[in-house]
Amino acid sequence: MSRRERLAEDERYREWKGGYRSYDIVKEACIAFGVVLALAVVLTILFSSPDEKPSTLQSWARTDPVDFVTTAVTQLDGSSGTATYGPPYNHASGGQHILFIRPQKWLGVSHPVNTAQDFVLAPLRAITGQPALQAAVTAYESAPADQQVKWTSAFEKAVGSAKANADGSVTVPPGDYGPVAPMMAGLLGFAQSGGLDGALLTSKQFYQTDYTKPLLFMADGGVLSDRAQAERLLGGQWGMMNETGSYPGQVWLWLYTFWYQIKPFSTSANADILVMAIMGLLSLALILVPFIPGIRDIPRWIPIYKLIWREHYRSLSP
Amino acid sequence: MAAIFNLNHHAPYVHWHFLQMSVSNIVVIVLMVIVFWAAILIKFPTHGMRGKS
Amino acid sequence: MSVSQHEPPVSAPEPASWSAWVRDRAVRTLPPEKLLPDKQPTYVASWIYVFGVLSLSALAVIILSGTILALKGPGWWHFTGIGHFFNSVHLWSVELFFFVMVVHLWGKYFMAAWRGGRKGVWITGSITFLVAIPCALTGYVSQQNFDAQWISTQAKDAMNAAGIGSFFNLLNFGQMYSYHILLLPAAVVAIVIGHILLVRRHGVVPPFKLAATASRAGRDGAGPDAREASS
Repeated sequence: MSRRERLAEDERYREWKGGYRSYDIVKEACIAFGVVLALAVVLTILFSSPDEKPSTLQSWARTDPVDFVTTAVTQLDGSSGTATYGPPYNHASGGQHILFIRPQKWLGVSHPVNTAQDFVLAPLRAITGQPALQAAVTAYESAPADQQVKWTSAFEKAVGSAKANADGSVTVPPGDYGPVAPMMAGLLGFAQSGGLDGALLTSKQFYQTDYTKPLLFMADGGVLSDRAQAERLLGGQWGMMNETGSYPGQVWLWLYTFWYQIKPFSTSANADILVMAIMGLLSLALILVPFIPGIRDIPRWIPIYKLIWREHYRSLSP
Repeated sequence: MAAIFNLNHHAPYVHWHFLQMSVSNIVVIVLMVIVFWAAILIKFPTHGMRGKS
Repeated sequence: MSVSQHEPPVSAPEPASWSAWVRDRAVRTLPPEKLLPDKQPTYVASWIYVFGVLSLSALAVIILSGTILALKGPGWWHFTGIGHFFNSVHLWSVELFFFVMVVHLWGKYFMAAWRGGRKGVWITGSITFLVAIPCALTGYVSQQNFDAQWISTQAKDAMNAAGIGSFFNLLNFGQMYSYHILLLPAAVVAIVIGHILLVRRHGVVPPFKLAATASRAGRDGAGPDAREASS
């Protein structure tokens, strides 16, 4: 069909000059509202909604102290996920990119997080009545950088064989960890008392609604991902579509999570930006369906419309 | 307020090659398809005057 | 006919009257009988047509239940049965909203409802769907439970990779709550209002003309030479 023919055909559908029947739009809207409200209430009575209690640094430190300490030492030596993330938290990496397009880097470090300072040293400095702990922090801070790395690397290797004790403390095999061992023990105790949750939240001001720091700290460890795996919420489990328990989830995200399951996205370090780009293009395509040849013609080729308007077509037959 | 059916337990899942989906989500998708076809195929009652515009 | 002495003198609106210009434009584009019609074309005879008003109804239930949750603050529903009830109504109305909206989208696609100058209707409808998705996301991360913790720490990677994370921080509860209860619902409602006004202005799209009926010009109601179909 030429463009002129297409425009002429489109003009013919502009106005309906055929028959009408009486119709009560307000009554229809009221009935529809009542039906949806009733359905929502019935589903509520039948199934309620999920509400799994959040994890805290305190609950994490108490139930899996070894994982807590393992994560804490990587925060101190700058090898944790957050510490190596890049923008918007720090400059440790350039972030994800597609060819030369690097929006993560271009938009910069807008939420600066220094994991050693913010997650370990500053909270330890807030603990009072423990002069030995404060001396350990001072010894660490005043040591040269390469000495700090020796201590933290040794501790990281050893914590793989660490054991959790009944009193909540962690025992690591003997080694030369310098002040790192008492610092980690001090941070663990602080977290188990609930103090670390508060310290990370109110570090800037009293009133806070920004949970960036405690969430990033927890996300670097296993506390959230272990629960997520049990609930099938991990990325590789199509988790984006799922809800906790047996509740239906976000079914409309099926295409979004689909890309993460297949190569090259499933093995790419730039998976997120690639998927966002594809979904951005497909979203634009959805908006522009009326302008896309082929896509806009499928309704004619697959004539479901003949079923929808069968009464109308029947009324036209002699 | 306790629900009649407790859905706070791990969902059964369906695996097919790389596809993984919870039974709950499959139920929702199947229902959508059924409702779509039912809406098209079930006869719609037309009441009222058939008048001219 | 001369103007009666009792009628006020009729004068054209002054060029400087913005109010009169807006009113005249509005009434000309959408006269009351188009805005709230009491008749519909005879071809509107399928249950698929109710999914638009069902989507609107679901949105209304979402907003009403959300308003009650907002009245009592974000922590309320965790600690009271009645709060949990309204949270559940809010969640299920969201599930119903996406359910009926997608069925509505499927129906409108297979009707090629953008025909006859109705591309704006399709565009506003698809944008509604696309804006509803981040609106739901901000809701999920505002739940203040484990689900919110997991979703925010995962989805932040997609936001950050696209640079969006620099000004839209999923881990910032205060920001996400503001987006969820005000900014994004306002955007959804504004786009839906535009969508509905466009439908009222252009009318529901007429059926495709079948080739077999093309020669019976006018009986199918479409086209400039159409005559009114008799009942």
